[in-house]
Amino acid sequence: MPVFESFREAFGRALVEIGEKNEDVVVLDADVKDSTKTIYFEKAFPDRFFQMGISEQDLISTAAGFAIAGKIPVASAFAAFMMRAWEQIRNTVARDNLNVKIVATHSGFSDFMDGSSHQSLEDIALMRVLPNMHVIVPADAHATGILLSQMIEREGPFYMRLGRDYAVKVYDEEELKIGNAEILKEGEDVFLLACGPMVSVALEVAEKLKDLSIGVADFHTIKPFDEETLLKIARKANLIITLEEHSIFGGFGGAVAEILSENMPRRVIRIGTRDFGKSSRDYLTLLDFYGLSSDKIARKIVEVV
Amino acid sequence: MSESLVNSSLDNKLREMLSEVRNFHLGSSVTCLEILKAVMAKKRERDVVILSKGHSAPAFYVILSELGLLSGEELKSFADLNGLPSHVIRGLPFIEVSSGSLGQGLSVANGIALASRIEGEERNIYVILGDGELDEGQIWEAAMSSSHYRLDNVVAIVDRNFRQLTGKTEEIMSKEPLVDKWKAFGWEAFEVENKAEKILKLLYELDRIKGRPKVVIASWKM
Repeated sequence: MPVFESFREAFGRALVEIGEKNEDVVVLDADVKDSTKTIYFEKAFPDRFFQMGISEQDLISTAAGFAIAGKIPVASAFAAFMMRAWEQIRNTVARDNLNVKIVATHSGFSDFMDGSSHQSLEDIALMRVLPNMHVIVPADAHATGILLSQMIEREGPFYMRLGRDYAVKVYDEEELKIGNAEILKEGEDVFLLACGPMVSVALEVAEKLKDLSIGVADFHTIKPFDEETLLKIARKANLIITLEEHSIFGGFGGAVAEILSENMPRRVIRIGTRDFGKSSRDYLTLLDFYGLSSDKIARKIVEVV
Repeated sequence: MSESLVNSSLDNKLREMLSEVRNFHLGSSVTCLEILKAVMAKKRERDVVILSKGHSAPAFYVILSELGLLSGEELKSFADLNGLPSHVIRGLPFIEVSSGSLGQGLSVANGIALASRIEGEERNIYVILGDGELDEGQIWEAAMSSSHYRLDNVVAIVDRNFRQLTGKTEEIMSKEPLVDKWKAFGWEAFEVENKAEKILKLLYELDRIKGRPKVVIASWKM
């Protein structure tokens, strides 16, 4: 039976642990601390928590100031609205290669009730295109904590993309490492490459299609991309399919297609979204509507294989 | 820093430098020169200067050359592929943050001021803004943050030259009543003629005001 955890709970708790170890870490919020769970950090370290109000542009540039002064700022807000500060991220954070850690929550369809305005399906593409930026998309609660702590220790700008609550457990105590994709299951007929919550969906798909030999890999680091592992997989798998809770244009599947087209031209099927989202009373219904449930993906694989 | 800056005449040097590049952002630089002279004369070692209106980079380079930090040869390399960048970038003397994109410098100043507060470090952060730049909404987000956190070591200086790219400021987007706007946002606001010695005198007086951020509207025609 799947074990359910929460991305934002994992983020909020990990941030407190990191704050205890590293006094330079400060947290900036855009009036969503209850939702992103940075409220735990505020309670633990009120002097290192800064409320910026509902103003994402000011949030990012103020974080840049903290980084210039030698602090390690974690700027957190909803992914959809963090993109309002894309130009600030581009022109100040990325261009000056500043040590700003952006953690964007409620990405993909995870904010199912709020609908298309709140559902961020473009942010991987928008962040991936920026020089100097690192892009991390953890698959579950454990990955969130371990990758967060690594990105705080590393120098430079990072964008971490998190869902809200629905985090199916993928890992126990594995030592994940930024920059290294994880092969979770070997397979020859089809290899499912996934990031974020789609990793657990990919494992479900493999479970459902027992007649096929299906491999699954978690590409939690989208930038810098683990080209070596991708090419190793591509060399042996008959068909590559990418899964992302994000637009197929310019996102994770786009990155895979770019690398393979130059190094090992072959067919890649990108599964993701092509449109804006919509509101729904629950997350799984929405995933299914957009063809991202394990049932829909399994059906698609049977069609193409 | 060197108070003799205030009395130096750098206008011709600036015009000469920009004549070679079809007077690139000359207007923005000419009116910023007096402000930069005053700010750089006032700046103590730990103080930070943010040129939020990055378009005035040429004026800043002329000041750096006057301080002996850039050679005449380097000044001539303005906007050349391997020369001085057309807008200031991080890594140049005194430049902590790149600009060129308007509206971000005040937020960055707030971040530096808040971090300095944690460290118990006393320093002023001077931010030079354009009057046209005040059209950017982020300026007013940041203005709220400065007063919310009572950042009395943040000093904004507005280059009030009444011009922006395509016309007069009051025709493009009205700025007045400008002093009242800043006051309404919780700032101590002052108007001064755009003359280096007058700006410098005011900057010294501002050090005595505690509890609120301060803005100087340096007017070109008063």
